Amino acid sequence: MLVITAFSARADAEKNYLLHCSGCHLPNGIGDPPNTPTLRDTIGKIVATPEGRDYIIRVPGSSQTPMSDQQLADVLNWMLTEFNSETLPKNFEPLSAQEVSSSRGQILADPLKYRARFWPDN
Amino acid sequence: MKKDSLIDKSYAWLDRHTGDSSRQLARSTSRRGFIGKLGAMLAGVAFLPLLPVSRPFAQETLGEIGDPQSCDYWRYCALSGTLCTCCGGTTTSCPPGAEISPITWVGTCRNPVDDMDYLISYNDCCGKSTCRRCSCHNTERELPVYYPSKSNSVLWCFGTEARNYHCTVAGVLGVAATDD
Repeated sequence: MLVITAFSARADAEKNYLLHCSGCHLPNGIGDPPNTPTLRDTIGKIVATPEGRDYIIRVPGSSQTPMSDQQLADVLNWMLTEFNSETLPKNFEPLSAQEVSSSRGQILADPLKYRARFWPDN
Repeated sequence: MKKDSLIDKSYAWLDRHTGDSSRQLARSTSRRGFIGKLGAMLAGVAFLPLLPVSRPFAQETLGEIGDPQSCDYWRYCALSGTLCTCCGGTTTSCPPGAEISPITWVGTCRNPVDDMDYLISYNDCCGKSTCRRCSCHNTERELPVYYPSKSNSVLWCFGTEARNYHCTVAGVLGVAATDD
């Protein structure tokens, strides 16, 4: 039963990705730089740090999307495992709804400036 | 006498040349050869959809009813603009000369055939002046512009060479999540 629930959550995460994110980042996550950054093999590197985990939740494209905390956590975890399997830290702990809830409320006024501190190449 | 011989030789050359050419033509355009090539072409066409080409919309074989040139068509439940089907395009392809925007917004519409919700990608076709045929304004589950990624009021000509709006297509991305 747990397996079925996990499978269903992953399937719904993919559908929510298509509904809320794929319009700009495209269904395969490659984006359209410089209009839209790619999600492939990029965000997997930055979740190795607490700031990086915090950032991918607080970036406006995530935090302002009309999804519940659990749905957003599922979509972010899906993007990390689907598009970043090569760069994801081996000890990666999936984001939880609680983690999303506490980070999401802190508005990121200047995402680019914030991001440059720990992700200077992008 | 000499003249007759020359004519005979000419006829003989003409006969031989015509015969050779006819046989060559017959070898290269036999009915069996034609049928064989036609068969190969038909088989090739049948396998064409299986080739690994880019297909942005995955669910184009689902059962549908309605007129794609009408604003009431189920896929257009949140489309605001002009229907590309009235402007020389299809539900998923732009009219000739217009460029499809890779950046778009995705909504959800219910298919009356199976009563299921599907994810619909509303891609704008850009680079030509606005097509004035079949204007359409539907707003099902569309949100105000302060949710720009869910708004059909935004002109989605991003990532295209020219930004002027021509019309909008509505491709099916797949079945929507159960809790939508």
